[in-house]
Amino acid sequence: MKHFNRVYLILIFGILYIPIITLIFFSFNSANSTAVFEGFSLRWYRELFSSPDTFEALRNTLILAISAATLSTVIGTAAAAGIYRMKSKLAKNAINSVTNIPMMNPDIVTGMSMMLFFVALVGILSIDYESIGFTAMLIAHTTFCLPYVILSVLPRVEDLGKSLTEAALDLGCTPIQSFFKVELPNILPGVISGFTMAFTLSLDDFVISYFVGSSNFQTLPLLIYSMTKKKVTPDMYALSTLIIITVFIFLVVSNVKSGKARRKESHK
Amino acid sequence: MSKLIELKGITKSFDGECVLNSINLYIRDGEFITLLGPSGCGKTTTLRIIGGFETADEGELYFDGHEISDVPPHKRQVNTVFQKYALFPHLNVYENIAFPLRMKKFSEEDIKTRVTDMLKMVALVGFENKSVSTLSGGQQQRVAIARALVSHPKVLLLDEPLGALDLKLRKDMQNELKTIQKAIGITFIYVTHDQEEALSMSDTVVVMADGEIQQIGTPTDIYNEPKNAFVADFIGESNIVDGIMLEDKRVRMSGHTFTCVDGGYAKNEPVDVVVRPEDVDVVKPEDGMLTGIVTNVTFKGVHYEIIVDIGGFKWMIQSTDYVAPDEKIGLFIEPDAIHIMKKSKYSGMFGDYSSFSDEIDQLSDADTAEEF
Repeated sequence: MKHFNRVYLILIFGILYIPIITLIFFSFNSANSTAVFEGFSLRWYRELFSSPDTFEALRNTLILAISAATLSTVIGTAAAAGIYRMKSKLAKNAINSVTNIPMMNPDIVTGMSMMLFFVALVGILSIDYESIGFTAMLIAHTTFCLPYVILSVLPRVEDLGKSLTEAALDLGCTPIQSFFKVELPNILPGVISGFTMAFTLSLDDFVISYFVGSSNFQTLPLLIYSMTKKKVTPDMYALSTLIIITVFIFLVVSNVKSGKARRKESHK
Repeated sequence: MSKLIELKGITKSFDGECVLNSINLYIRDGEFITLLGPSGCGKTTTLRIIGGFETADEGELYFDGHEISDVPPHKRQVNTVFQKYALFPHLNVYENIAFPLRMKKFSEEDIKTRVTDMLKMVALVGFENKSVSTLSGGQQQRVAIARALVSHPKVLLLDEPLGALDLKLRKDMQNELKTIQKAIGITFIYVTHDQEEALSMSDTVVVMADGEIQQIGTPTDIYNEPKNAFVADFIGESNIVDGIMLEDKRVRMSGHTFTCVDGGYAKNEPVDVVVRPEDVDVVKPEDGMLTGIVTNVTFKGVHYEIIVDIGGFKWMIQSTDYVAPDEKIGLFIEPDAIHIMKKSKYSGMFGDYSSFSDEIDQLSDADTAEEF
């Protein structure tokens, strides 16, 4: 049994990480081959950094992810605070279900419906689809990120309850002041995790972007996909390697931080 | 002392259920007033209406002569100490207390003097930089009181503030609250279900039940002259017996005619008669006005609690002398120990100890033991 456990574990980690390790490995290949490793080189990294298309796409992706995450966090936090305060249980449940639909909906359906909507909108306003490229993407991404933000903020708002808000009002805060001075600092962990989730989702969304995107606003997933139609060059391996390393560093830092926080908590 | 707060015909219902039914009450400047009643009697709702967290469906609320029903909580000169303290977990002790001053844009210097004064008053000097989550219940309570008082409100509302503390700490805090109230001289409106707390701290007690005020009076009035069976039963222990007022100062109950000190009732009017357990003397059966069989004796420390069956009605008597169960004893009651009340809707609901037995106590003890 003990042996079985070990084998099982090795198998799982192997399946998870061997492809990634292969990718990192071949990103340092000096030849343009996925089969033969001809020698270590940073050639593909050099090529990656000299390609303007890739940089444009990376920049677009980051701008989109940050703005979509910011927008959905602001709207989602306000929505969560509003949903919590709703008096009618029926309306509360209804709103909750409606906000969850984009989360349950297959991406392909959301993507198609978004595309239809923007095409129709462009038709009605008789403008060029290209001219709303970024706006369309931003609206689409904010929409599908929103339920995740609400999902991560609402439990925090519910945990906080009404007593702190009432205390703040009692001690001289206007309702707005009470939100920023008392509620927000206490639901901040939920808001931050909502933002992070939205950022990640927007960053690697392909399906919805594929439907909504226009030729003048390319994101990284769209660019990589368009390359696979021809041939994926190893500079994409290099890019993926860089992304993996960034994520890895993020994870290590956040784990160390939360570990420290937990140790501090247990000391009290 | 002038009327500082006045409630006129305050009515409130939640989901069609009436919680407050036309409450009329005035509160004088500088008094310690307690709203006392069982849970669900509307005392907290009354407090929340004064604080501005609920709006009455009907009625008027006056503060210093002005109607304030539409004034939002942050503009009322009233601060609240909440049941669960509601301290801000993201601020330390100093910042929690400084919070209302910062909202009112006090200078940093003034804030420092005032917060330091408050910390001295609640004996928490040296705790400035502590996180509120590391404090004990009693210390959190003190921070909550300091925070509510630091901006010098005219009225402090306290919603069962000692409910979460253990008995010893409660007693200490009761004294401390009373001392603070005397020292700063502002009005305290205190909500509790603990009758002992209400009697020992208040200038005025307002007994509430079922959304209505049952009686308003000083603690001694409320205890000695309860208006109806509910008040008599809720405040302390009482034997409440059906009686007939034969004439002024003559009442008949349990088959014996007693001399009492009350009058002003119609001839042969049915009344409720209250006798406090500590006012009954145990004597030999032949010397007693009433005789009965002891069914139960419980040792309570200062006295024995004796349940006596008198013609089917069970009385509670507190005596420092031991009597054995099943013994026949006589009861002697002084005229001024008998208090007569008019019949009310609460007549017959309280004041009979026939359901009282050790068995029930033991059963409930067993239940709580299982929970832990």
